[in-house]
Amino acid sequence: MRGRRTVGWVFAALAAAALGVSLVVLIVLIAITALQAGPITSMRAVSGAGISLSLRSLDIPGTRDSLAYATVAQVEAGSPAAGLGMSRGDALIEVGGTGVDRPSRAWDTVGAAPGGREVTLPVAWMPRSEVTLGALRATSVQGAPRVVLSSPSESAKAGALRAGDVLLAVGGIPIVGTRQAWEALVVAARTQGTPIELSLERDGELQVLRWDPTVRAELRFVRDPLRAWWTFLTTLNEPRYPERAGLLPAFAGSVYVVLVMGAVAFPLGIAGAVYLEEYAPSNVLTRVIEVLVANLAGMPSAVVGIIGLEVFARALGAGRSILAGGFTLSILILPMMIVAVREALRAVPQTLREAALAVGATRWETVRHHVLPYALPGILTGTILSFSRALGEAAPLLLLGAFLFVTYVPQGLGDSFTVVPLQIFEWATRPQDGFATVAAAAIVVLVALLLVLNAVAIILRNRFQRRWSG
Amino acid sequence: MSEHEALPVLSTRSFSLWYGSHQAVIEVNLDIAERQITAIIGPSGCGKSTLIRAFNRLNDLIPGVRTSGEILFRGETIYGRGVDPVNVRHHIGMVFQKPNPFPKSVFENVAFGLRINGFRGNLAERVESALERAALWDEVKDDLHRKTGYDLSGGQQQRLCIARALAVDPEVLLMDEPCSALDPIATAKIEDLIRELASSVTVAIVTHNMQQAARVSDFTAFMLLGELVEFGLTRELFTRPKDSRTEAYITGRFG
Repeated sequence: MRGRRTVGWVFAALAAAALGVSLVVLIVLIAITALQAGPITSMRAVSGAGISLSLRSLDIPGTRDSLAYATVAQVEAGSPAAGLGMSRGDALIEVGGTGVDRPSRAWDTVGAAPGGREVTLPVAWMPRSEVTLGALRATSVQGAPRVVLSSPSESAKAGALRAGDVLLAVGGIPIVGTRQAWEALVVAARTQGTPIELSLERDGELQVLRWDPTVRAELRFVRDPLRAWWTFLTTLNEPRYPERAGLLPAFAGSVYVVLVMGAVAFPLGIAGAVYLEEYAPSNVLTRVIEVLVANLAGMPSAVVGIIGLEVFARALGAGRSILAGGFTLSILILPMMIVAVREALRAVPQTLREAALAVGATRWETVRHHVLPYALPGILTGTILSFSRALGEAAPLLLLGAFLFVTYVPQGLGDSFTVVPLQIFEWATRPQDGFATVAAAAIVVLVALLLVLNAVAIILRNRFQRRWSG
Repeated sequence: MSEHEALPVLSTRSFSLWYGSHQAVIEVNLDIAERQITAIIGPSGCGKSTLIRAFNRLNDLIPGVRTSGEILFRGETIYGRGVDPVNVRHHIGMVFQKPNPFPKSVFENVAFGLRINGFRGNLAERVESALERAALWDEVKDDLHRKTGYDLSGGQQQRLCIARALAVDPEVLLMDEPCSALDPIATAKIEDLIRELASSVTVAIVTHNMQQAARVSDFTAFMLLGELVEFGLTRELFTRPKDSRTEAYITGRFG
């Protein structure tokens, strides 16, 4: 008696462990990606204010050190940042009192600032070199570089700089180049604060000036998660700046490819399954076909990609188009579809077929009027599960040669495309700040899409049970 | 015309049937007379259901079925080359052991056979008359389109199946233990219905219930282990069985 109980407990424990692990994995997956994708709101808040940032760095002459800083790579026309006079080529120095040494510092600071949906934070930036300093000329005296201010800007004049001044050092950083002179100002402003100590040679004499060339203003940021996600989903992809990256091209590509795949695999899968289940004579050929279909269902998806490349892209000349992608994925899911639809057909009671045949229906009429409608919810469930598998596939399309990187929405079946998993792959391999966040956000979208599809499958199955169990 | 001389509608000639290597029906010779009720009785596994399903070629669906001998419907073989089983089933309808209505409305259940046979005429009228013949009209006339076949009680479902079979106007109605899944009251209703139907259609009914065979049928066939042991007028078979095995069965010594 005792022994029998123990075995029962062992199985209960194993079952609980298996189910528990699946649940934990799902929860952890969602939690991690959601957490990783969280900064997308503050990224979008910064880009919503009009600023796109780029990471740059300055090598300190005479040392092996380098200091990073963030330039304003783009300012959107008509945005609040543009209204403040920021422009392309400026460097962002401070946001909310925190020094910005890299783009993510700006996003994180905006994200962490106390306040509600909207926050107004002080920002400091260094206008681009021509505005801050004016025209510079590089010369050299006995091999030593000299940077001469040939024509000072208004800002430089206000800082008591004059034409002909030779810039020697900025905040202790030796000046060796025209571009580097401005970069030294940027880095010094952040690391040492303002005013900056400027060493220069004027009329043959060494002079030290203290100067604050930075511009300060208040900038309003809108932190709206819903809007951030919505913009992420509905904007075209901007290849350089993660805060402007959009999923629309990949999302549209996925939808088109899955539609083409469905148009091919759905009728073929149903026809194949109906033939095997309702018509095929039980002979060796049928057996062979069944075994082949079952084996195809387990074929590695990369292999399917090679078939797609050779057959659709090359032999049939479809190239790297949506058409070729859809056909390739339909090869992948066709066996799965057939297996799923056969299961659904097998669940149709034999008495239903007999009832139809007994009133003089042909086999096809029986299938068409009774078997298929009865099996439809099961068929749809299997179809949706196959489709969601295909939606998450990257390998076959990668081999087919689908682009990783598409910035437009495909307009026709012959257009090249990318899909969400490929876009995730592309973003995840980018070294720049912020693309990991965007990749995580795309994963969240993909997982949400798959969960929705699975939920639809479950709902269909439940409706099916309620409708027929009478 | 006496019952003995009624014309056979269906006759089997040395009919045998195998499921793979197992022979389920052995050399059966049987005549089913027009507008009479013929009952086929016997213990479980005697081949009676197999035989009745052979009459409208429903065994064709089962893989590995072989037949030999002949079944003649009005003198023509139904197993020959070029015979379309769909055609056979137009003339020979069937009611099954477990009620199996379509998961559609009551109306569509009855109308399906007419629709697929390209019936051009008053569909509603034909559906009504079929339901009336199956003694179901009064119970469902208000919910023809609202209720599905599954919303009816077991006995009603079985009468719906009878109506469905009758709608296409078959000459023979095969019934495979039509009451085995029903309660006694529903059974009584169906039995009365069968008696009424016999005025317009030939009925062959399989039953494992000897009392039922005795109550409803004109002729009875007794099968055992795939063989037809005895066939004759019901009142004679039940009162003066010629074969000792028949006697043993009807007196309840086995079965």
